[in-house]
Amino acid sequence: MLEVKNLSKIYGLGEVQVRALDGISFTIADGDMVCIMGKSGSGKSTLLRQLGLLDRPSQGEIVLDGEDVTRLSDTARGMLRLQHLGYVFQEYALLAELTAHENVYLPGMMLGEKGIDFRKRAKELLELVGLGKRIRHYPKELSGGEQQRVAIARALINNPRIIFADEPCANLDTISSKKVMETLVSLNKEMKVIVIFVSHDPDDKKYARGLIVLSDGKMVTEDALR
Amino acid sequence: MKSLKVAAFLALKSIVRGNIGIIVLTVFMLVLVTMNLLFVPALINGATMSMNTILVSTYSGDIIIEPAGDDTVINHVEDLLDGIESIDGVVAASARNEINAYFEFDDERIGRGVIGIDPVRDEQVFDIAGSLIEGGYLNPRDRDEILLGIQIAGADQEDIELYSSSLRHVHAGDKVVVTYSNGIEKQYEVKGIFDTGFIQTDIQAFITDLEFDSIMPNMNDKAASIRVKLEDDADPERVIERIAGLRNDLDFQTWQQTAGLVQSMTESFTLINQILNVVNYLVAGITVFIVTYVDVINRRRQIGIQRAIGIKSGSIAISYLIRALFYAVVGLIIGILVFKYVIIPLEARHPFEFPFGPAYLLTQPSYTARMAFILFAVSLAAAFIPVWRVMRIKILDAIWG
Repeated sequence: MLEVKNLSKIYGLGEVQVRALDGISFTIADGDMVCIMGKSGSGKSTLLRQLGLLDRPSQGEIVLDGEDVTRLSDTARGMLRLQHLGYVFQEYALLAELTAHENVYLPGMMLGEKGIDFRKRAKELLELVGLGKRIRHYPKELSGGEQQRVAIARALINNPRIIFADEPCANLDTISSKKVMETLVSLNKEMKVIVIFVSHDPDDKKYARGLIVLSDGKMVTEDALR
Repeated sequence: MKSLKVAAFLALKSIVRGNIGIIVLTVFMLVLVTMNLLFVPALINGATMSMNTILVSTYSGDIIIEPAGDDTVINHVEDLLDGIESIDGVVAASARNEINAYFEFDDERIGRGVIGIDPVRDEQVFDIAGSLIEGGYLNPRDRDEILLGIQIAGADQEDIELYSSSLRHVHAGDKVVVTYSNGIEKQYEVKGIFDTGFIQTDIQAFITDLEFDSIMPNMNDKAASIRVKLEDDADPERVIERIAGLRNDLDFQTWQQTAGLVQSMTESFTLINQILNVVNYLVAGITVFIVTYVDVINRRRQIGIQRAIGIKSGSIAISYLIRALFYAVVGLIIGILVFKYVIIPLEARHPFEFPFGPAYLLTQPSYTARMAFILFAVSLAAAFIPVWRVMRIKILDAIWG
């Protein structure tokens, strides 16, 4: 379970302070799939980066399974990301010098749990996202949608508790977007992974079971959609 | 271990899939640095070796024996020479006496020393005979013949160092007048002229000990010094101990202790070499620094992504250090191979000519090992600085600027 308590993020621009997030609180249950929506500049990506432990909030707490992870050291946060969190970036964010297969199993190498064959698992995950025949391809040889699905497979390599996806379809065509979102839905259903994704497309609400709407850094709505 | 494995994996992939032009250029720069680091010391070693060889073979011998204390001569020389030559490791020993004299030829008059030698014994210790450029070597019975160094004779060779203070036009067969410091004046036929390339030797003149005894009759069976030649693997200190066991009125010096001129030249060469080495290591360090700096700046976002997906900063940093080490190792290996199999054979065919003779490039494994270690350390340090700076940037700043 993920609990967010009174979360704020303040950026200092000289004497001017910008409240990117202002007193956000919500709870996401295990196995949930939540969409964060809002206009451009509303704080969607900022919120996701705080939740994904890529950034530190100015105030408030993020509690994961009862543990406050907000004040952990950088090393501990890095380990937590590696072991329990998966992150899918808006811009694919694959490593250009690695094949699709290598991109997926790289975080597994870092974790290096005994008894787990991460190369085999990476192959299975690529098959799961429909790219079983493209494992030896380099990112530049893949379409945007395919790259994003490789990124999703990578986010799954360590059996994460939560996947964060920051506008995963922003740069994709309609067909690719649908495939990516359906992949996330299927992972959520089959693997019981919490999926929290950011989108600016109102149609994407249909993939989620919960909705968080932000406006000027404040939470406007928290709904259970289904 | 996992961090190292991931670092090696990232380094390998970036080398294999990286920009081949940049890799080749970086390695090429380090090959040049390596050859530069090898060349100057090898030349200095070769020149020093050449100088030392000529010093020992024409001037000092391996051991110099002189009278101890206030004595000015060694007495009972013949017995002593026999005793010295019976010691294991001694090839030969030669007694030498010296007297100052003025040499005259045409209108030229110069002052130099004249050395009395037993030509047979002396030829076993020194290689003056092998350096004759005119005429022949002394015979033991010669009385009216003299052997002149090129710096005394001149021999019309205007390019020699001391030509202006030589007799300038003397050749083998010419007659020169020698006035000794004890007032005796005698005319000699120049039997031969030698040019060893070592100026201290080439300002010497030799007559037979038979003739020397007639100039200084009180020096019979006496010598100002004895020069000893050793076998290549003989231990000078052990031989000195054995000789000291024969007599207790002797002082000993090894050739190194007499090599003041050579030593100061070697020290100057070494200083020049150290300055050049610092410049070379700086070039190596700056090359690796620039390549790594440009690379990490270009890959800042990728580094941010790697950190975001859980790759430890340490692993990423080590991957860059491995790459720097790769450049250094490949540059070093190619540099050493090119130097050993191209530069050294080429220089051996066209050696550098010094006043004391040709100098051949001579490398020392211990120096090469030390150079490799320093080059690796410099490359690692140079790569670490830009990587460390990027690793300090927040993940979000690295990815999104």
